[in-house]
Amino acid sequence: MSPIQRLVDAFHRLPGIGPKSAQRLAYHVLRAPVEEARDLAEALLHVKESIVLCARCQNVTDRSPCRICADTSRERTVICVVEEPLDVVAIDRTGGYRGLYHVLHGVVSPSDGIGPEDLKIEELLRRLRDVDTEVTEIIVATNPNLQGEATSMYLARLLRPLGLKVTRLARGLPAGADLEYADDVTLGRAMEYRQEV
Amino acid sequence: MHIAHLTLTNVRSFRRLDLALEPGRHVIAGDNAQGKSNLLEAVQMLATARTLRGGTDLDVISWPAVEEDPLPVARLEAAVQTAQGKRTLEIAVIAQETPPGMRPTRASRRFRVNGVARRASDLIGQLRVVMFSADDLEIIAGAPAVRRRYLDITLSQFDGAYLRALQRYGRVLEQRNSLLRKLQERRGRPDELDFWDDELASTGALIAQRRADAIRALARDAAERYAELAPSEAEDLAICYVPRLPPAVAEAIREHDLADRLRATLVEERREDILRGVTRWGPHRDDVQFLIGGRHAGNSASRGQQRTAALALRLAEVELSTRRSGDAPVLLLDDILSELDPARRERILQVAYGVDQVLITTPDEDRPSREEMPDAVRYRLAEGILTRQ
Repeated sequence: MSPIQRLVDAFHRLPGIGPKSAQRLAYHVLRAPVEEARDLAEALLHVKESIVLCARCQNVTDRSPCRICADTSRERTVICVVEEPLDVVAIDRTGGYRGLYHVLHGVVSPSDGIGPEDLKIEELLRRLRDVDTEVTEIIVATNPNLQGEATSMYLARLLRPLGLKVTRLARGLPAGADLEYADDVTLGRAMEYRQEV
Repeated sequence: MHIAHLTLTNVRSFRRLDLALEPGRHVIAGDNAQGKSNLLEAVQMLATARTLRGGTDLDVISWPAVEEDPLPVARLEAAVQTAQGKRTLEIAVIAQETPPGMRPTRASRRFRVNGVARRASDLIGQLRVVMFSADDLEIIAGAPAVRRRYLDITLSQFDGAYLRALQRYGRVLEQRNSLLRKLQERRGRPDELDFWDDELASTGALIAQRRADAIRALARDAAERYAELAPSEAEDLAICYVPRLPPAVAEAIREHDLADRLRATLVEERREDILRGVTRWGPHRDDVQFLIGGRHAGNSASRGQQRTAALALRLAEVELSTRRSGDAPVLLLDDILSELDPARRERILQVAYGVDQVLITTPDEDRPSREEMPDAVRYRLAEGILTRQ
């Protein structure tokens, strides 16, 4: 296999990169100065070598415990459980949540061969059984689809016996949405989960 | 309702079809293999969002486009006029991007309603059609899966809750069956089934109840139509729903607690389900029985009786669709008139004058004749080109 083809294939394996984009990226690297290529290669290796999972929240980090877990100004009574590391970034960006996180690294989906034992659930239970735990509430922030709901129900049944309050993110209309263009399911949910003003 | 405008681009045998339509009857004559059925199937696809005749999405795109265009796309567009106003529907079937020189092997569908990108479920039902074709015989004589597909296509067009439950049921069933196979290999724990059983029960109960209601209405009307279509025949048509539920649960199909009973069944039957690695109870295994003179129409009725039963069912469907949504569906008659005797043709033409719009294809310009349908707009279809006469 030619070196160019090897690079094209490597890009093609990345999520969201089709064959045409892979070609474009490969030829961009080919034309770029050698420093840029070296920088990219080093960045790729460095991220794999230096990034670990936080021993507490299982988020990706360059040091364990991660910055969020180590931050003493954060509330220690509530843990927000998310599917992926990017969800932590999304929720933290809102600035409205100042508690801790736990990253599951996936959702229950039997047809993809993923059961509860493949997720970081045991790690969550270990955190909650810790004698020093101050946690009283778990917010389940999995996606509002079938697999997300299955995961959330499984967690709720596991966590309620521990005497914890288990909550779920609200479902309904996105901010700035136009009622006229909302689909039936979303609108129906928004009606079902309406709030008093 | 009626279709005010239909545009097909690169759809099967049509490179380009641009057709302004009025309410009323439209007769499209043409020799075989000129694309008559393709035209009606394209309209049906705009109504049901389903690729038809067992073909793949890629088969919707015309061959010259797949061979020559850098990015082959088939586009189906319709402007539909209903009592509630005008809406535009669009389906784009887009071939998968391939490296130069390679032929695409797959395609995907994109849907728009009133110009806004939507899911298939938001498109379905915006245009309602009832298609009569020679394939209808399969509903009577074919496998149970054909009858379930018939029910799903029919009900989804006027029952949004049914469509949503059906889609969710399919996803849940796939997950539950995967979990059963995993448990069969003694991996995982049976209580992981709880969530999937709950979901399967609530969506499955809705599906079963809506099917029961629809079949009751179809059975009553189809029996009457059958008697009218075959006045000399002593035998009658009966249609019954055969839900795949234990008898005690099936008896309670109209009860509000059907979901609880179905859930109890799923929990009770877990051991056996795990053993077989498959969900054995629920509407994915339903059937519908067609009985003529009390005997199974599929294997003991004559070809003629089966054909009459299929026709009666479609006529009942027109009534059900009209009753459930307030206005009549568009009728699509795919080359069915030439094989009917004059009395039956007369009956179909009567129905054709009871709805807003009918599209009829025929290999024989004289079926229906100008006397039978004096006001029809007539077209000639040859080599993918439609000419108004």
